[in-house]
Amino acid sequence: MKSSPENLTDSEFEGALKGLIFNIQRFSIEDGPGIRSTVFMKGCSLRCPWCQNPEGLKKKQEIMWFETRCIAALECVRVCAQDALRLEPSGMLIDRGRCDGCGKCAEACPTGAIELVGRYYLPEEVLSEVVRDSAFYENSGGGITVSGGEPLVQHHFVKEFLRLCKENRLHTALDTSGGYEVEALEEVLPFVDIVLLDVKVSDPEKHLEWTGIPLELVTKNLKTISEFGKPVWIRTPIIPGYTDAEENIEGILRFVSSLDNVQRYDLLAFNNTCASKYKRLSMEWKLEGKPLLEHSKMESLARKAISCGAKNVHWSGMTKS
Amino acid sequence: MNESSQAAREIWGPSQKLSERVSRLREEYADIESRKYFRNELIPFSNGKGWDTVWSPSEWGVVPELFQFQPAFLETLPLAAKTVELPGDFWDKPLILRAAIFFREVVSTYIPVRILDGELIVGGHFNAVLSRSLNKKESRHWRKLTKKWIKLMGELNSSGMGNAGATPGHLIPDYPRALRFGLDGLISYFEGLKENAASKSHLDFLEALVISCEGAKAFSKRYSKEAEKLASSCTDERRRQELGEIARICEKTPGKPAETFHEALQSLWFLHMLVMTQESYPGPGLSFGRIDQYLFPYYKKDLEEGKLTREWAKELLECFWIKPNYAYDFMHRVGRTRGITSGYGQLVTLGGHGPNGEDVSNELTWLMLEVIEEMNLLEPKPNVRIHKNTPPKLILRLAGMVSSAQGSPFILNFDEKSEAGLKWEGLPEEDVWDYAPVGCLENTLQGNDRSGTVDVNINLAKAVELTLFNGKDAASGKRLGPRTGDPKRFADWNDFKEAFEEQLKSLISKLVSLYNISDGLRSKYEPTPYLSALVRGCAESGRDVTNAGPEHNYVTMEGVAFATAADSLAAIKKLVYEDKTVSMAELTRAIRENFEGNEKLRRLLLNKAPKYGNDDDYADEVARYLSRFWTQEAFKHQTPTGRRYRGGYLSWNYWVAYAPFTSATPDGRHRGTFLSNGVCPVNGTDRNGPTAVAKSVGKLGLETAPSGDSHTISFNPSLLKGEEKIEKFAFYIKAYGEVGGTALQINVIDPETLKEAQRKPVEYSNLLVRVTGYNAYFTTLGKEVQDEIIARESHGF
Repeated sequence: MKSSPENLTDSEFEGALKGLIFNIQRFSIEDGPGIRSTVFMKGCSLRCPWCQNPEGLKKKQEIMWFETRCIAALECVRVCAQDALRLEPSGMLIDRGRCDGCGKCAEACPTGAIELVGRYYLPEEVLSEVVRDSAFYENSGGGITVSGGEPLVQHHFVKEFLRLCKENRLHTALDTSGGYEVEALEEVLPFVDIVLLDVKVSDPEKHLEWTGIPLELVTKNLKTISEFGKPVWIRTPIIPGYTDAEENIEGILRFVSSLDNVQRYDLLAFNNTCASKYKRLSMEWKLEGKPLLEHSKMESLARKAISCGAKNVHWSGMTKS
Repeated sequence: MNESSQAAREIWGPSQKLSERVSRLREEYADIESRKYFRNELIPFSNGKGWDTVWSPSEWGVVPELFQFQPAFLETLPLAAKTVELPGDFWDKPLILRAAIFFREVVSTYIPVRILDGELIVGGHFNAVLSRSLNKKESRHWRKLTKKWIKLMGELNSSGMGNAGATPGHLIPDYPRALRFGLDGLISYFEGLKENAASKSHLDFLEALVISCEGAKAFSKRYSKEAEKLASSCTDERRRQELGEIARICEKTPGKPAETFHEALQSLWFLHMLVMTQESYPGPGLSFGRIDQYLFPYYKKDLEEGKLTREWAKELLECFWIKPNYAYDFMHRVGRTRGITSGYGQLVTLGGHGPNGEDVSNELTWLMLEVIEEMNLLEPKPNVRIHKNTPPKLILRLAGMVSSAQGSPFILNFDEKSEAGLKWEGLPEEDVWDYAPVGCLENTLQGNDRSGTVDVNINLAKAVELTLFNGKDAASGKRLGPRTGDPKRFADWNDFKEAFEEQLKSLISKLVSLYNISDGLRSKYEPTPYLSALVRGCAESGRDVTNAGPEHNYVTMEGVAFATAADSLAAIKKLVYEDKTVSMAELTRAIRENFEGNEKLRRLLLNKAPKYGNDDDYADEVARYLSRFWTQEAFKHQTPTGRRYRGGYLSWNYWVAYAPFTSATPDGRHRGTFLSNGVCPVNGTDRNGPTAVAKSVGKLGLETAPSGDSHTISFNPSLLKGEEKIEKFAFYIKAYGEVGGTALQINVIDPETLKEAQRKPVEYSNLLVRVTGYNAYFTTLGKEVQDEIIARESHGF
């Protein structure tokens, strides 16, 4: 194993290959087989209006403010060198243009009301975090999932981290939107045991309009996964008014279910608990206030998927009542 | 159907599949208000002498909430007592024989006999308090010691340091031997021992065991007669036959060996219920041990011989299952919202492995799980032993039951970790595979081990307070511990640590002194010869079970507020001595003032100090140090009777009771906020999920706390919805056994449902939740504990 981060000098750490990660979630049970740890890479090449992880969109460190934790100690304002913070009766005004994500405010805040989102890790550091749950992976047939954002945005790092995982005999999954260069995927795939691929929209025009990338790129990536012979689970987020039409499922499965390496199809119900995250990031959310889907709606879409020839159909997520 | 009753229907309750008989018996039990024809309420029996006593305060020492009632019990119970007529030479005999004779007279003549309509396992009244049978001189001495104990207990308890008292129950009698040989077999064994008894006192003791067994035999025959009587006037043919069979069985067992499954269950219940009568105690911790193992041969034989069907076995088991619950009639009048009304803990142990690590779960294990699932009862509380060879399908079955019953119907006991502790405390390596828990999750050997598993309770957070204030109570200024110096003058963490260790050692010694009074008192004046007849080692050594007669004898000191103390130490180490962001002067001032006017510091302590429970090596290292230090310190002590103190983490309800008597703490807790319980992290501080908290618990090196540790985790129901997630949860349980602690209990409920239950207690009367090491009907818990559980679930995974 390479030298540990503790014995790197500052300049070595500066020059080393690092990944910007916004969360390492343990006991992940919805991101692939078994019990897993999911590493969330910060930065995304897509801009879907329904995004559940807005803190994963930008490939830079940024701060979140939690209103309920703030006691107006104002330590943050005092330490901010950019003069980017102002506490008003309406809440904390964060000048996102000025904020450079240095994180001094989060460090100074006694209550944890300001959190820095995103931390740079060496691949070895992430490895030493995720091996903590090895006993759970071994017993359950689980392992590591790299997700995002779009993890391939940081493909050099992801490749190195996954290589280390394989060196340490950990099962690996890549959770990708398929919306990034094929070359990046090809670089990473040798170290991936299974791919979780999001196919969101079957209509090419709408796909481009909503996600910001062409559907063709997703299908190309899917083809590459097949050529590598890697098993893949296809996942479709079911978003009311966007992806919840039967025709959409039908269209997706038309080009997906013919592939041998597709082992499973998941429908993921829209969830609205991310609204508060948008607020904390001073972002607008287009879907704010949208109600959850009906249980029966998810059931009928799952039945539709089966009738379209999808194998191993599952649906999960929150529904009304 | 409206929304709320729909919600209530999702709560685990008695199954629709229960037979009409069982369903009716269960309802009858649950509805004590209208069950006027039979209530198993306390009956006092006295010898009629003015100095007699039927109530021993020190037996209830670890239930401080009863303190306010103690004087009343002491004075009124003898007045209300039935006077037992005793043989003329009664007072000429030594105490051990008087105790045996008194027991024999009560059970063979006085205690009412009652068979409930339709029941197949009989044995109704057992809640009694018996005269201690002391003569005038003994009584005077007993009162002196009791007074001494009450005084010291009052001091330690009211200052929040802890409590201690020699408590009945909390052991597993050797029931299998009594089933196999019958009491007659035991009697002839005792008679045989008389031939080699070296002393008069040993001879008397063996005679006392014989007398007690004769009493139990006479007792069962009274039930036989009652069944005959009922049969003769019974017009329902089927019931008449059942009563005939009951009469036959009660005539035979427990005197003679049990030969059928029905006989074994009936014999077991008689043997068990009489221990509660003998001990004048409604059963807390009196446990059955590995019931699916020792009942299996009877079950298998009857099935093979065509005498029994699986369905009838289940009917018998369900009738048996209701019986231990009647212990709760004891406190009926005290009120249904006392903690003690849910935690009697007559455990049954299921599953586990054999001497060579092989899994020994069997058909009866599975049948009993079915019974547990369908009955939805508090007792007998099941613990399921899990080990590396437990069949995956059994774990999956358990995971399924956990996910559909809000406070899982059982505790999971992990064999490898549990056995490591029992080996560490010095039990024979070749015996520990056959261990079983008592009470909640306290590990012991079966049939030969009294480990006093709840007898001493120490508030670890109090030692932090005393270190911060140089041995004085923060509120009263009263000196409670040694002078370890003004912490503002400590140079570094090591200075602080040394002072803390001094305070902790002193606290341990104080509690040991307190316990030793009650142990001395009990060993001298409160023998229980009937129980001694059922515990290996007593007859052979000539010593009563209350006097270190069993083959193995320990006293367990249970750590309370462990995580509160550990996080407090971690905060001091990190923020005061390493980062130097907080000064000791500021910290002690803020704590004395309960953080008033210094919310900023409190938040800093809460948010910037490392917290145990997150698989954070810094915090977990401090926690491990604390755990190993105090448990090894406790292990250095012994009672004068020769019982060694061992550590454990049960913490019962004291995390509530001692909260107001513990100052604010350096982890950012206000005075009055509940302390942490068992080995659980402080509420809301474990933020890395269920795998991380399991690792933190595992890192403590819990073999030095061999009694076992209470770890409760909470899952939001959505996390365990659907087959796939339940399967993953089963894998989690398996892995927990490798990396976690000795015992795990799981709540699967969301805070909204609990709040709804507070508002509509009637609709949610079946709702069982896990508290500390036991489950309880949520709506019968006190409001404080209810709120605490809601807070806990709000931080669930």
